[in-house]
Amino acid sequence: MKNYIKLFIITLLVVTASSCKKLDLVPTNNFTDQNFYTTSENVNNALNNIYSGMYNSDLYFYNDAMSDNAYTAQGSSYGNVDQVGAGTFTSSLPKFINDWSLYYQGIKACNLFLAGIDQNKTLGADVIARMKGEVRFVRAWHHFNLMKWWGDVPLLSADITPDEAKVVARTPRATVLSFITSELEAAAAVLPSKDKYAAADNGRITNGAALALEARVLLYEGNRMQDVVTICEKLMNNPATYGQYALTSDYGSLFSDPAVNKTNSESMLSLQYVSGVAGRTWADGFDFYPISAGSRTNNLAPTQELVNDYIMNNGKGISDAGSGYNESNPYANRDPRLTATIVYDKASFKNADGTTQIIYIKPGSDPNRSALNEYSPNGQVSATGYYWRKYFDPNHLPQFVSGLNLHLIRWAEVLLDYAEAKNSLAQMDASTWNKTIMVLRQRAGFTDPNALNFPTTGDMTTIIRRERRTELAMEGIRTEDIRRWKLSETVLNGYVHGAKFGDPTIDNGYLRVQKRQFDPSKNYLWPIPLNEVNKDPNLKQNPGY
Amino acid sequence: MRQIAVAMAFTVLLNNAYAEEGSEHTGETKSDKQHLASISVTGRVSDDQGQPLPGVSIGIVGTALGTVTDGNGNYKLSIPEAYANKSLSFSYLGFAKQEVPIGGNTIINVKLKADAKALNEVVVVGYGTQTKVSLTGAVNQVSAKDIGDKPVLNTLQALQGESPNLIIQQTTMDPGSGVNLNIRGLGTLGDNTPLVVIDGIIGGDINLLNPNDVASVSVLKDAGAAAIYGSRSANGVILVTTKSGKLNQKASVSFDASYGIQNPDVLVKKVSASDNAYYKNQSLINSGLPPAYTPEQIQQLAAQGNGTWDINHLLKNAPLHSENMSISGGGENSSYFISAGYQDQGSNLIGNGGSGGDFGYKKYNLRLNQTAIVGKFKFNVVLSYVKSQNKTNTVGDNNIFADANRVPLNYSWQDANGNYLTNPIASQYNEKGVLEHGGYGLTNNDQLFGNLNGTLNITKDLKLTGIFGGTINDNSQFFRREQVNYLPSGVYGDDHTVFDNSYRNQLLNTQVYAEYNKQIKDHKFKVLVGVSNESYSSNAFQLQQLYTDPQLGIPTTGTTIDAQNSYNSNYQDASGNRATQETSLNSLFGRANYSFKDRYFLEGNFREDASSKFAAGHRTGFFPSGAASWLVTEEPFMARLKNTVNLLKFRTSYGILGNQNVNAYQYQTTYFNYPNAYGFNNTVVGGAGYNLGNPDLTWERAATFNVGLDAAFLNNNLTVSLDYFDKTTKDILAARQDVTAIFGAGFPDANVAKVRNHGWEVSVAYTLKTNQVTQNFSFNVADNQNKLEALSFGVSQEIVNADVFSFLRRVGDPITQYYGYKTNGYFQNASDVLSYPKPAGQVVAPGDLKFVDQNHDGVIDDKDKVPLGNPFPRYTFGFTYRIAYKGFDLSAFIQGVGKRDVFLRGELVEPFHYNYGATVYEHQTDFWAPTNPDARFPQLAAIGSASNNNNWRNGSDLYKFDGAYARLKNVNIGYNLPSSLTKKIGIQKLRVSVIGQNLVTLTKLKFIDPETSEFNNNLSITNTSSNSARAYPMPRFYGMGLNATF
Repeated sequence: MKNYIKLFIITLLVVTASSCKKLDLVPTNNFTDQNFYTTSENVNNALNNIYSGMYNSDLYFYNDAMSDNAYTAQGSSYGNVDQVGAGTFTSSLPKFINDWSLYYQGIKACNLFLAGIDQNKTLGADVIARMKGEVRFVRAWHHFNLMKWWGDVPLLSADITPDEAKVVARTPRATVLSFITSELEAAAAVLPSKDKYAAADNGRITNGAALALEARVLLYEGNRMQDVVTICEKLMNNPATYGQYALTSDYGSLFSDPAVNKTNSESMLSLQYVSGVAGRTWADGFDFYPISAGSRTNNLAPTQELVNDYIMNNGKGISDAGSGYNESNPYANRDPRLTATIVYDKASFKNADGTTQIIYIKPGSDPNRSALNEYSPNGQVSATGYYWRKYFDPNHLPQFVSGLNLHLIRWAEVLLDYAEAKNSLAQMDASTWNKTIMVLRQRAGFTDPNALNFPTTGDMTTIIRRERRTELAMEGIRTEDIRRWKLSETVLNGYVHGAKFGDPTIDNGYLRVQKRQFDPSKNYLWPIPLNEVNKDPNLKQNPGY
Repeated sequence: MRQIAVAMAFTVLLNNAYAEEGSEHTGETKSDKQHLASISVTGRVSDDQGQPLPGVSIGIVGTALGTVTDGNGNYKLSIPEAYANKSLSFSYLGFAKQEVPIGGNTIINVKLKADAKALNEVVVVGYGTQTKVSLTGAVNQVSAKDIGDKPVLNTLQALQGESPNLIIQQTTMDPGSGVNLNIRGLGTLGDNTPLVVIDGIIGGDINLLNPNDVASVSVLKDAGAAAIYGSRSANGVILVTTKSGKLNQKASVSFDASYGIQNPDVLVKKVSASDNAYYKNQSLINSGLPPAYTPEQIQQLAAQGNGTWDINHLLKNAPLHSENMSISGGGENSSYFISAGYQDQGSNLIGNGGSGGDFGYKKYNLRLNQTAIVGKFKFNVVLSYVKSQNKTNTVGDNNIFADANRVPLNYSWQDANGNYLTNPIASQYNEKGVLEHGGYGLTNNDQLFGNLNGTLNITKDLKLTGIFGGTINDNSQFFRREQVNYLPSGVYGDDHTVFDNSYRNQLLNTQVYAEYNKQIKDHKFKVLVGVSNESYSSNAFQLQQLYTDPQLGIPTTGTTIDAQNSYNSNYQDASGNRATQETSLNSLFGRANYSFKDRYFLEGNFREDASSKFAAGHRTGFFPSGAASWLVTEEPFMARLKNTVNLLKFRTSYGILGNQNVNAYQYQTTYFNYPNAYGFNNTVVGGAGYNLGNPDLTWERAATFNVGLDAAFLNNNLTVSLDYFDKTTKDILAARQDVTAIFGAGFPDANVAKVRNHGWEVSVAYTLKTNQVTQNFSFNVADNQNKLEALSFGVSQEIVNADVFSFLRRVGDPITQYYGYKTNGYFQNASDVLSYPKPAGQVVAPGDLKFVDQNHDGVIDDKDKVPLGNPFPRYTFGFTYRIAYKGFDLSAFIQGVGKRDVFLRGELVEPFHYNYGATVYEHQTDFWAPTNPDARFPQLAAIGSASNNNNWRNGSDLYKFDGAYARLKNVNIGYNLPSSLTKKIGIQKLRVSVIGQNLVTLTKLKFIDPETSEFNNNLSITNTSSNSARAYPMPRFYGMGLNATF
């Protein structure tokens, strides 16, 4: 018995001793502050992360829902973006804090990278210099987006502490602007051109992209047109330095042909995706291509207003005298980009499996099977009677998982920037026309000399703006353009329309899709997110909110 | 008193084990004898169940000599020869005093009878037991009889309504789903889950317990009771003790079975397809848009009748049955309890996914509890094995209910040929097809629980206990999605996903503690000191393949591994979530009890914990508590009243409790790489992210005050218990909210918030016995109210949007509230529209909602948003009625919530919900009209119209519903067959019963079960989306039961 007692007590002592487990339990699959940047692989990954956080497909596509290009029925997945289009938002709209946070998260990643990369001793000075250029571009990009929507915004050229973030004030817009342009110029000075990068680096930020973004930034200012001209000419006249850019021969392929989409001379900067389940993909198309092409619903529909801005193939606007526009056959003889961008009633559509179908949208017109794509005021079909075609990925995986790149800046935009700047300086002439609008129309597939040649009649501003709208539809640019042109109060007031499937006594039969409103006294700037204003006494709200 | 002594029965038993031990001591006593001329009497004191009673006072009547029993109920007393003819008195609080003549016996074993049942009860507390009467803390004990006869698979379901302020919400009734559980409401912004201790081992899964195996459940509510569990006890502690055998008990076998049908209670009804079309037109016309249907089309719809597209056609009656068998018994030195159970709950959803058995949940339980006493040792082993298996659909209930609800009734799930159909509203999936052919997920959870403990009585006063135990969970899931093609278009599952997933965790718990008992005259002391370690580790991995063979689900041409959803144990994702975690906790704990004359009780507890979740320097937390009680009825001055007031006791306690429910590793800033961040040249590249750490992270601390009283009247037939508590938790772990998003990164948790939670509990029980009828009434009701006292570094409020409305956290208010505009009726006419404030820039019309302009600035904007309701239950109550007459017995149990606000959104709330729904329900048709100015809902308006935006896109109390309810939860009517009859077939006891569950619910919320909630126990408002009212319906259960004891 005594032995049992000893055994028991010894056992307890052993158990007691062994139970005092060490408490410094660390995860084994992480790096720390000290050793992270010293490894080159980590630096590369941190840079990739910065690219990844630059923008996303939701922002890219749903920007058009805030303009007169498109209507979204359900914006809840995108921060209630529909309320921005409708003009019924308040400062607590999720969209505002979501976007604001995305840009500032991106800026932080850039600032941490710029502060840490010099710890690395293995990459080589030239690589480090180039990487810094890429990151400074992205940091400028985020600041540009912030400035574009909110005006004065806190400018962060270095990482800030939580305490600083509680009192940071808005930097005057002019200071942010000059930071953006000087950073882009600095980036352009160290970045290679697209032709100097190794093939494996295809998709990285180039000096050409940096200048093209600077041109966009200055174009949006409205009063810097000479600078825009200078930058565009730099790009147009120095291909050896800034890369050999040209328009791709086929407009539609640029978006939908997987080979052309990835490798072309037109894209200056694209959000890079890679198809496949182990790739990096987007799937927004599940909610905006024709239902019969496999979409589950339609949540982003092109408007009649956009369709109307596609010119006739003779170069005239549909309402111009002698345009030849026939309202009962509205899609005939139009700008070929209409068909390349939008699926309208009885348009032909090439499915992912290679077959071709006719998309019947007019109610009661589908002769074959149940009316999948047909407009109905009920259900998940397009509310406007139009679907998108642009960026349709013929190789998409189930549920529209796509690896197509989304073009953020392309050569066509530089040409449009140039044309607009020249025109606003009253320098538009046949030579500038031939270098810009003409080549864009040629590439689009126009053959009529009336459309291609320098026009002798018509308002050049209207022509250029229409060209810009139709060339860049669905690329997120329109909402920015109508704001800088101060057109929002005109085009975002009243009903936005769909195809002529409605009651002929109302709006001539064009479907009323949504009533919109825009208050020019305040809506040209977004409200600073409510929670942010509440947390930071120095963060003053924009007027009117 | 003498009469009682005469009437008392006592049993003298030879105890072989003790006799043997006694002989060891003979040598010593002999030598004593010569000096003292005394005889030695030994024995063992137990209760009438044979359980030993430690601390029983034994005295020689008429003298001052005496002793007390040790931890095993044994005693030894030297009796001077002069007193050899006297009697021994045995007294113990809560038991009737007994006097036994010594009469020359050297071994006197005594069984004490309970004085009154209220006092007798032994209550399980942390690291031991106490008699109920000596308790100083707030503890409720629920016993087997309150749990056993409910046809539930889950112990928590059985506990609902049984203990005041033990708040249990069954937010969905899908087989196998868990419940929300908290004690005394919500006291912290983080995890409010109480600590669960099963048979002394921390961290068991109460959901997996077989309710039939539960002997008792103690709910430790206040600091006095819970502080010994220190760092995890701030949310209260639930101690579960499982059944065990008893010494000296004949082997008995019992068999329990119940079988019944669960009938899904669908509360919603769509309007007819033609009415639906009419309402659609109405909404368009009201918005200046052309109607969608011509009168002919509406007539056509009316003529066509209803289709099958509704939720009723996806549901069926499903069986629920359980069988349990147990054997228990015990000899002189050992006892055992063995049980096996099988429970099978069919899903009310139709189909089986295409192969195998129907959807549903099965559970297999095995349990062994074995005790052996060898001399001074007592060894106890508890082993249990549970297997649960849940077969579920591949699309998720949420989608099934949403799709069934949002399509008008003119559509059907299938055509005459059995093809699954899609339609313009549900163009993607047909959920009937998914349920019947879309594959399935099969979860297997194997849990092994073991507890090996040994107790050594070193001396009669000192006892040493060692416990080694743990739980191993092995959870695996196989999932296969199969393709279903629809007409005219749409396909489900064409990615042919197959995955296997394994999640394992183990928790090992080692405890050693010593307990010392001493009585010196009227003073009783009890001291307990111990150490413990808990070590937890978990790991997980998953392999997911896509585009597998459509028939077999195995790899074939084109099959790829889904890299984003496949991972090894060392994986972590872009948000820093890890597959593998490890935590450890070292503790030192102790308790001291002192009582004087069994009248005044003092108790002190402490625990010191060191947790690996915190950095060195912030790791250790000290959690003390003190408690006192006064048993007034033991005072001499109360003797006169003792026939009226049988018991009166006051209790109070104060202490500091802790909470460390945060994720591991949060104190360290970590960098990690992840795959598929970006692509260059059409090739994917990885990325690197980081998670900021907070090196200052440390314990939450809850200062808890409790005061209570227990009383008994009418011969203990009426008992009353009252408690008031006030708890302030500070250093609550929450993400900091004070920093703008301009900082650019998320924060780890920090010790920032402070919450006060206070409330009260009342329970009353009354027993009414007449000749042959015994009736029991017991009622409990409780309330708690919390208030946020600090949020985050001086920030006073946080607003989180959840679809249309918002959640608010504001200092000075309840911790989470619904937030938005307060409605003020409707714009009734044109002049109203002109004069009344409107949301900025909004165009409104008669029939649209008015909102209260809180700041009277003439415009409705964010400044007019106010708290709109509290989503957490208040005035929770339970009422049980039992009646027994001869062989018949009946029990009825009502449970409910007195006050709760529920905000609901989605197609069951908003007509033609946000273009996603295309339906109107009967409960939605109270629309505004000039003739119906006080309607529940505003006028119909098209999605995207100004009116619709005003009414439905502005979060307001339009979405508010009253979640109060009272539910007849359980009715059980039984008949015990006469034993004279059953004994002939060898059955001791045979009871048959009929059982009904969820029979009647009284509530104002008519279209969804009022227990529905968007919150889980981890009260994060950032991860909470609003409640779309798409929960699996509450089934009614009708069945019968059989209990037999052999």
